[in-house]
Amino acid sequence: MVCAFLVNSQQLFLCLTGYERKWNLQTEQTSLRFYSTGMTLDNINKPDIDRIIRVDHAGEYGANRIYAGQMAVLGRTTVGPVIQQMWNQEKDHLKKFNELMVTFRVRPTILLPFWNVAGFALGAGTALLGKEGAMACTVAVEESISAHYNNQMRTLMEEDPEKYKELLQIIKKFRDDELEHHDIGLDHDAELAPAYSLLKTAIQIGCKAAIFLSERI
Amino acid sequence: MAAAGSLRRAGWGLLRCPPVLRCPAQRAFYASALMRRASDEQKQELPPSSSQQRYESHPPGDRPDQEPQRSHHSYTDQGGEESEDYESEEQLQQRILTAALKFVPAHGWTADAIAEGAKSLGLSVAAAGMFHTDGSELILHFVSQCNSELSNLLEQQQKLVQLGQAEKKKTDQFLRDAVEARLRMLIPYIEKWPQAVSILLLPHNIPASLNLLTSMVDDMWHYAGDQSTDINWYTRRAVLAGIYNTTELVMMQDSSSDFEETWHFLENRIADAMTMGHTAKQVQSTGEALVQGLMGAAVTVKNLAGLNQRR
Repeated sequence: MVCAFLVNSQQLFLCLTGYERKWNLQTEQTSLRFYSTGMTLDNINKPDIDRIIRVDHAGEYGANRIYAGQMAVLGRTTVGPVIQQMWNQEKDHLKKFNELMVTFRVRPTILLPFWNVAGFALGAGTALLGKEGAMACTVAVEESISAHYNNQMRTLMEEDPEKYKELLQIIKKFRDDELEHHDIGLDHDAELAPAYSLLKTAIQIGCKAAIFLSERI
Repeated sequence: MAAAGSLRRAGWGLLRCPPVLRCPAQRAFYASALMRRASDEQKQELPPSSSQQRYESHPPGDRPDQEPQRSHHSYTDQGGEESEDYESEEQLQQRILTAALKFVPAHGWTADAIAEGAKSLGLSVAAAGMFHTDGSELILHFVSQCNSELSNLLEQQQKLVQLGQAEKKKTDQFLRDAVEARLRMLIPYIEKWPQAVSILLLPHNIPASLNLLTSMVDDMWHYAGDQSTDINWYTRRAVLAGIYNTTELVMMQDSSSDFEETWHFLENRIADAMTMGHTAKQVQSTGEALVQGLMGAAVTVKNLAGLNQRR
């Protein structure tokens, strides 16, 4: 995935001086260049891309904290390594969205401190119900996130699949990762959790609310 | 025929409400009166986009009657009656406001200045009727222009740094220079600026002026190299906005030569902000160390009590 982007500030600069630009891309440690037929700061639908990146960033941040909470309770049990591995993947996702956020000058959601605490609480709380509870939480959250990514991919494709190709690829890969986590959760007896369907519904409602708020605030 | 054409243009004017200038209902009425005038000074411009940055081609008060020739905008496709170098209502407004800036030191930020500006372009004085009587649009136009100018300046500086022709500044020096550069744009109008600030604080202007302030502060931090993606994003911008506003207030009361006291004040505020940032980091790391210490103590106690066994 990373090899699709050129990490070369010289080339980026040469690309930029060719024509008038309103904004300049930061070329500090992380310089990303999207091919010139793709997304640039000037030709994208900024409000929509803003929302997409903001909510996805918030989502990955929240997922990080959920896994952190689960690890805090179940880290030293047999299911610890499984959760750790899923957590590492979420860390990668968050890193990617941090980069995208800087590149496209997107404002992060102001609710981040709240998602910090709420995510950890959710992860730790469900983990206290046992490893099945933690897996049920994973299943619920990953299902919500996959559906959400699918919606975003639909929106981007409806608008301009060529222009948003790189972003679509990123979201697709992340969606596939989340579906994998969902399946891992099911494999590890998520459905045996206490009040599984109630728990799952409640968590998914919370996810929907979080998505709604993070897009806007 | 001409009347129908002008009414249609006025109608389009109502539809294209820019975020900075609002569309009072009487605009359409006066717009139709203005549409019949000498066409020799009409040049073509890009259509105003919904972004606030569209003023970047206009240095404040400079060459108000010359615009760079650009491609025809899409509004001429809407009817065969418009000529090829038709100027939209908003472009006209921009030109009038830019021309009016020259008269602000004499007349203040009022409809009088706008009327004088219109007169200087060869238009009727009634053109000032297109705008609010309190001069808000003139001030917002000016602030927007200054912000675009600042943006261009910072971008050029960044290009020089990337080319290796200039040294990269430290954050506090960069912010100091950026705020100073931006405030210096107020110097020609400093006498009447308190009036402008009070108008910008009127409730109906607050959304627009807040928008301009936040986008300016965001620009400054972006070019300063801010890459934060957490709550720091907000705190940094809030702090810089506070510094900018207080320095602006000091500047309005400053009578020293070349506003030395203002820049001195600015330097102190930025130093304060940097110290605050460092202190916050130190508090955080101390807190973390403390928490780790407590966790270690808790684990020790659990070990001693025999509670720490692998499940």
